[in-house]
Amino acid sequence: MKIVFKINGKQVSMEVKPSLLLIDLIRDVLKLKGTKPGCLEGECGACSVIVDGEAINSCMYLAINVNGKEVSTIEGLTGTENPLHKVQDKMLEHGAVQCGFCTSGIVMTTKAYSDKCLEEGITPTREEVKKSLEGNLCRCTGYAKIIDAAEAVYKK
Amino acid sequence: MKNIDSKGHVTGKSIYLDDIPTIQGTLFGVIFDSPVAHGHIESIDYSKALALPGIQTILTSKEIPGENQIGGIFPDEELFAEEDVHFQGQPIALILAESEHIAFQARKLIEIKITEKEAIVDPREARKKNQLIFPPRTFSLGNTDSAWSQCAHIFEGQADTNGQEHLYIEMQGAYASPLENGNIRVSSSTQGPTAVQRTIAKVLGMGMHKIEVDVVRLGGGFGGKEDQATPWAVMAALGAHVLKKPVKVVLHRMDDMRMTGKRHPYSSDYKIGLHEDLKILAYEVIFHQNAGAAADLSPAVMERTLFHSTNSYFVPNVKATAYSCKTNLPPNTAFRGFGGPQGMFVIEAALVHAANELGISAHELQKKNLLQDGDEFPYGQIAADVGLTQIWSDMEAKFDIKGAEKRVSDFNSKNSDKKKGFSLQPIAFGISFTKTPMNQARALVHIYSDGSVGVSTGAVEMGQGVNTKMLQIAADMFSIDPSKVRLESTNTTRVANTSPTAASATADLNGKALQNACYALLTRLKKSAADHFGSAASDIQFKDEQVINSGKATDMTWNQLIDQAFLERVCLTENGHYATPIINFDKEKEKGHPFAYHVYGLALTEVTVDCIRGTYEFDSVKIVHDFGESMNLPVDIGQIEGGLVQGIGWMTMEELDYDKKGKLRSNSLSTYKIPDIYSVPKEVLIEALETEGAEQAILKSKAVGEPPLMYGLGAYFAIQNAVRAFNPDAQQTFDAPFTHEKVLMGLYQI
Ligand code: FES
Ligand code: FES
Repeated sequence: MKIVFKINGKQVSMEVKPSLLLIDLIRDVLKLKGTKPGCLEGECGACSVIVDGEAINSCMYLAINVNGKEVSTIEGLTGTENPLHKVQDKMLEHGAVQCGFCTSGIVMTTKAYSDKCLEEGITPTREEVKKSLEGNLCRCTGYAKIIDAAEAVYKK
Repeated sequence: MKNIDSKGHVTGKSIYLDDIPTIQGTLFGVIFDSPVAHGHIESIDYSKALALPGIQTILTSKEIPGENQIGGIFPDEELFAEEDVHFQGQPIALILAESEHIAFQARKLIEIKITEKEAIVDPREARKKNQLIFPPRTFSLGNTDSAWSQCAHIFEGQADTNGQEHLYIEMQGAYASPLENGNIRVSSSTQGPTAVQRTIAKVLGMGMHKIEVDVVRLGGGFGGKEDQATPWAVMAALGAHVLKKPVKVVLHRMDDMRMTGKRHPYSSDYKIGLHEDLKILAYEVIFHQNAGAAADLSPAVMERTLFHSTNSYFVPNVKATAYSCKTNLPPNTAFRGFGGPQGMFVIEAALVHAANELGISAHELQKKNLLQDGDEFPYGQIAADVGLTQIWSDMEAKFDIKGAEKRVSDFNSKNSDKKKGFSLQPIAFGISFTKTPMNQARALVHIYSDGSVGVSTGAVEMGQGVNTKMLQIAADMFSIDPSKVRLESTNTTRVANTSPTAASATADLNGKALQNACYALLTRLKKSAADHFGSAASDIQFKDEQVINSGKATDMTWNQLIDQAFLERVCLTENGHYATPIINFDKEKEKGHPFAYHVYGLALTEVTVDCIRGTYEFDSVKIVHDFGESMNLPVDIGQIEGGLVQGIGWMTMEELDYDKKGKLRSNSLSTYKIPDIYSVPKEVLIEALETEGAEQAILKSKAVGEPPLMYGLGAYFAIQNAVRAFNPDAQQTFDAPFTHEKVLMGLYQI
């Protein structure tokens, strides 16, 4: 099946099998390895990417469903010269990263949520920030620093 | 300094095993494993699987040129089962195909006939049937037999802890490529590159020098990739050897959970005797370790259970016996704490049991019996620089233990549907590999002619920040900008015969080896500079990339000095070696001085239990921790926060579930729950104990990887405290994890 979509700002069109998962399209076909497979059953959030503004688990999403849509992965957040995105900056600043395997999923999830908050002009509470990350597991950090970092994204 | 990998992590650029670009022609391996926990293989028909287009071959024990043996401590574990299978998930064959997808399809087409045998899953049953991995061991001090008669109170009971799945978010994997002359290069997500190298060499029947193992980083290990990263690496190497093609084996989550061992479940019996004045006089404990089907690291894990059987307390009469019981579970293995937490849980249970019966607070008993300088551990080491009394009074001063107790009892007297509970959890954790020869490390340092530096050590980075600490050491010692230092991958051709990254001791061992290398280089460089200035080497110092002569800045920079030294043909490479002094242990006598030092700490946990639903929430955990003089507090605090939550997970929600036939029911992330963002304490406060640190710790900064996990034990006892506030008749059962279901049972038990 032929699909046409945008990934990290670039238009692509390709033939894909209807059964191909988005995570496999991203990692194996497009060779964007920043998106991580943690469970491949929609439980850990390590594979989170943004499709038309929504953070989704790319392991539970068929590649054909991105047809006509815009996908962004962690690689799209910064160009080589660009400074870090605010979410990345805060993760760094708060030391919210240990092994890093959950990190790109957490960054993408937070990015999608912060865009939404920005659009709607709201500053989420700490509880809301936590809720936004309920689908992301981290086995290393105990989350404290992740919550701090995500919350800091909304501070002026 | 921030974790040096964090920028790569937040931008998604860091490379993990499965991200390594695949070479064309790479074959993908999927493991065919035993569907039953115990049985005899009658026949296997691979023909349909082999007929599938895209399948290259299926490797079994028949293709192994060397030994079909991967046991690390004892040779009791086959790489591929030959005749009998001993656990569900035991590898039987490796399917190699052009894609993982095809290999998975082929797996479904393999037909196996097995005559099932009776499976043992309970360690006590294994002991009864005399199914032991090796003979039991006993640590003793004083004489418990004669002490019982002097005890005013004696309590006996049983305390069990379930296992724990490591759930590193990056799954197990390895990628092997054939090189010229039959050599093989393997990238592996392992904590033990040398173990991987040694085992591949054995299975392929060749020398270790023909195998190169490289590790860039791990997406979490926690002990689960210490010994158990080896089989997949050996399989990949076998494939590369047989087919002369690159082979990648990466486990999918359910395969990973089914095939790998976990934290050992323990079932233990205790008997504790107290004097009138509430001092512990005698303690006897029998541990039944559920080792699974092969030894793996169980002997060492069991040993650490014995070492930590009295946790932070002094007990004059101790008899601790441990049985390593052979069952039909996957071989259980290292997991942060390495048997220590299981041992500590039992004495904590015994103390809580005693306190409940005596109608006093458990913390009164705990405090009364805290270890002091000069006390003897059951294994003969004399406790020194024990921070526990200071830690306890810091806790009282900073976090108000009495206030917490009052808060809890006030809340409980006003509320009937919700109850609060609290606990104090002291820890004393010994640092060193208990097998003395493993306490050695090496570091290779190159100073390149442009003044930049490359550092290789035996340490594996798995998120704990060890590479950051190594980089700090080199940059500080040379007084150069950290950007000039590169931490290389962990590679067996650069640093050989490494101990695994484990036992919390990696930064100490490798850091000290690195210091030794840097010292040697500094000595040569100082001489070169002194010759130049006509001064003595002792007059030379380096500060911010500048050479200092007799306390005065010179116009010579670090780069110029390196350039000069190179032209003078000074060796700019050094290999540092370190072996921990003092430590020893005599296994015959079960006595010695096995630990370089201990790490101490105390956690105060408060929980609120919903007595209608059986759910709970942790209000706070407040910790006073003995960091020594932390060389990197943000990194160390991260270890505490993460370790604590992992410990809480083990004690509360992580429910490993094998059925009676040894089949894993909690076999995926949807059936095995680890703490998510909601399950963590609402508040975690950490205070550092003011101390001078330990000489044998790197830069006096004490090891921090494992100890904080044991703060999580407090979660169990805080919940129990709340349950008893609601139902004072709740039985004295100690059976972790304290799931919501068990809380409900406790609340309404009569
Ligand atoms: S890999 Fe997609 S949710 Fe875990
Ligand atoms: S940092 Fe390791 S899983 Fe989150």
